Amino acid sequence: MDLVQGNPTEVKVVLASVATALAIYQLVLAAIFYRKLRPSFLDGGPAAFTHRASGDTIAVLLIVVAIMCLSYFELEDSAFHAVTGFLLLVVLAVKVVVIRWWHSAGRFLPVLGISVFGLLVATWASTAGAFLA
Amino acid sequence: MSRQLIGSLLVAAIIVAVTIIAVTAQLGPTSAAELDSREERQDQRLDQQEERREDRQD
Repeated sequence: MDLVQGNPTEVKVVLASVATALAIYQLVLAAIFYRKLRPSFLDGGPAAFTHRASGDTIAVLLIVVAIMCLSYFELEDSAFHAVTGFLLLVVLAVKVVVIRWWHSAGRFLPVLGISVFGLLVATWASTAGAFLA
Repeated sequence: MSRQLIGSLLVAAIIVAVTIIAVTAQLGPTSAAELDSREERQDQRLDQQEERREDRQD
């Protein structure tokens, strides 16, 4: 069964754009629970919970998009996209390992988070952004 | 606390919905299904025109 009904690029663009939009929200939430921002309407606890829930959603979306990329498109289509996409999944996997099991490396989480965000924006811009422009 | 939690999750849901609407609107009616049905309608119209022309000639 063809889940995307012959529209793999369009579905991929929508899913990647949702992940990127949520990633921008992730930055705001991280700034709140690291106390760089202190809005009166949102404390660190709820911001951290939503950051984790939204991050899990982004991870699922990125895995689905990556599977679609590998299933429908050739690696030679865009080398830059392939490299940034691969690095994105690697850094995201490291971040998940640090959060779940490798707690002593927790001080690197802000750097890993910003790296995930930068790679996600670069990967999105190289295909979805260009497709929408 | 729980109100803040629900609010922040609601903002995430709104971001998802707005992004889907904005990107879909930007993509336009370019889906393969839409293009197929458009092509089919055009073929039907051409067939009908041809039939009418043939009827007139007879």
